[in-house]
Amino acid sequence: MPRIPSLDLARPSRQHWLGYILLVPAVLLVALIIVYPLIVSLDLSFQQVKLARLDAPRKAFTLANYERLFSSRDFWMACWVTLKLTVIVTSACLVMGLGTALLVNNRFKGRNLARLAVALPWAVPEVIATVIFAWIFDSSFGLMNWLFIRLGLANGMINWFSDPTAAFWVVAITMIWKGYPFVSIMALAGLQSIPSDFYSAAKVDGANAFQRFRYITLPSLMPVLGVTLVLVVLWVFRDFSIVKVLTDGGPLKATQTLSIMTYNEAFGFFNFGYASAIGIVTLIICVATSLLMLGRETKSMY
Amino acid sequence: MKMSVRKHLGAAMLAALCTTSFIAPSFAETLKFVSWQKDEKGYGDWWGEVIKAFEAKHPGVTVEWTKVERNAYADTMTTLFAGGQPPQIVHLASFEFQAFAENGWLENLDPWIEKSGIDMTGWAGQETCRWNDETACIMMLYFGFVMGYNQEILDAEGLTVPTNWEEFLDVARKTTKDLNGDGIIDQFGTGHETRGGGGQYLTEMLNYILDAGGSWTDAEGNVTIDTPEMVEGLTRWKTVISENLSPRDMTAGDVRKLFADGKIALKLEGPWLYPIMEQGAAFEKLKLTKPPFTPPNGGSSNVLAMASEIPDEQKELVWDFIATAMSPEFQSRYATVANSTPPSATADISGAEEAVPHFDLLVETQKAAAAAKVDRIPAGLEINFNEFAKMVMEEAQRMIIEDLDPAAVAATMQEKAEAIQSY
Repeated sequence: MPRIPSLDLARPSRQHWLGYILLVPAVLLVALIIVYPLIVSLDLSFQQVKLARLDAPRKAFTLANYERLFSSRDFWMACWVTLKLTVIVTSACLVMGLGTALLVNNRFKGRNLARLAVALPWAVPEVIATVIFAWIFDSSFGLMNWLFIRLGLANGMINWFSDPTAAFWVVAITMIWKGYPFVSIMALAGLQSIPSDFYSAAKVDGANAFQRFRYITLPSLMPVLGVTLVLVVLWVFRDFSIVKVLTDGGPLKATQTLSIMTYNEAFGFFNFGYASAIGIVTLIICVATSLLMLGRETKSMY
Repeated sequence: MKMSVRKHLGAAMLAALCTTSFIAPSFAETLKFVSWQKDEKGYGDWWGEVIKAFEAKHPGVTVEWTKVERNAYADTMTTLFAGGQPPQIVHLASFEFQAFAENGWLENLDPWIEKSGIDMTGWAGQETCRWNDETACIMMLYFGFVMGYNQEILDAEGLTVPTNWEEFLDVARKTTKDLNGDGIIDQFGTGHETRGGGGQYLTEMLNYILDAGGSWTDAEGNVTIDTPEMVEGLTRWKTVISENLSPRDMTAGDVRKLFADGKIALKLEGPWLYPIMEQGAAFEKLKLTKPPFTPPNGGSSNVLAMASEIPDEQKELVWDFIATAMSPEFQSRYATVANSTPPSATADISGAEEAVPHFDLLVETQKAAAAAKVDRIPAGLEINFNEFAKMVMEEAQRMIIEDLDPAAVAATMQEKAEAIQSY
């Protein structure tokens, strides 16, 4: 009877095998839910497909989707809107998040309540928050119009969702409100890990509050802020529900991001091949941005 | 002896298992039916009755009825079909079934209709269901628009019900008001959806375009937007929206609710307005009449179809479900339960006016819309309807936001529509 070779994981040379074996299910799962759809999407982007079907015979290879994409004004406009939104929302989230984190890091009465208030928007589900903002900015009966008229900031109703500039800012404000608590929570965790000795030594050396912030707090927080920044950028880049519920990319494509464009092409116009091409380009931009930012973040550390 | 008992028990269990497994398919069949109309007062009730009757006719067969919101409907159905798990009973909007039929996902119903001997003569809107020379679906609703009006608002201004565009505009202008002087308009002359999907936006515009004599395409499918009639239609739309005679940036549901609560004087809408009016705060003050526009807006609404890639025995059941919905009994019930005009020309709707006081009005506007071949889906742009509707919505928004000349906008729309058609 042939002897089945046994896998002796106790041998020192094979001890690392156990790690790999234990990782296999997770790797397979990731491959199934991430890599496989990615490959399908990449394949679809090189075919002219209206409605996709996995068991359908493959259509001829073509670069038509990419040619159409790069010559499309809508695509470049979506890139510009995504970039604007990413820069504005990320910067505002960073400033507000860091500011609130520094605030609630101090000792004062009601600090726990303040921390809760800062983190609250993060706990509200995105769609619910968006619906609330849609009501606040409602053009006919919204709170914001009433407030603007009462305060004398506007003579009449502002059509928040019919004006391209106003609609863009409504989306940006909603995203900032939803996104800054994440930065705040991360920064607060980072602040609490800075040894108090650093500050004591700086005080002895005569450093003022701004100098302590500039030369101790900020550099110590950079590893945390760097990762947080990447996560926020990626969140803004791929966020779908806020734009979809508030404006659906309108008016006049003023809020159409790459995610919304991908969705509309796939499920609105049934152009799965073209939508896949947009998705692949978006992915490449996301990966490149992340690598660039993560690279810079490591250099900023002490 | 012990072995014998065990053997007997084993044989009995095996027999039971075999019997169950043979019987199970016919007794435990479940047909999936996805619809956005579940829970809708009127239509939802009618579907519920159809399902109940079908299940009573087929003991052991269950219809698994799931609601998917309208704004997520196309994605959900596309995903279900693409993933090879379509609902056996397919419910789609009349402007979206074409993409599914084009992909071969819908069964050709011609042999089923022929086999059952159902007379489709005069079935309203059924020609829309013809795709690639086959019957891809059964039209479930073809309707004509009616106009709801708030008698109290009109009386307060000493106005009468408008009967043409000039009167409509006059009434809308005089009834759009800031009632409490806070600088915010809180009563509107009319109401249209200006936020949401292109399809609904297009339907709202169509009220004015049809009355001006315009149409998106002709019967042969040629784009006919750059015409004086269309320019007039666009001008009317621009007037209504830019003068804020309608609340801005609202979904269709919100606008209907505002009318039902007494905040809008005139509302052009399909037959589904009445059930919403019934639930509103101003129900006693609201009335229905025929629209002041000729022909009235209207067209096909939703269709019932069969998934093509399902087992034959399920197809038999699905067809029986469709046939139940098409039966004279349920076509008559469509009038009284769903408050809408049934598509069947032979449905007995006598007495429907007792349950639905304005039923004759619904029939009249449906016939007027059908006679004028009104449909919100332009011929020749069926497969690209969503893209076309989105383009029209954007250009119309641009016209209002940038105060553009409707003639120039019509020319742009013409060019873009032809480009979409050529894809």
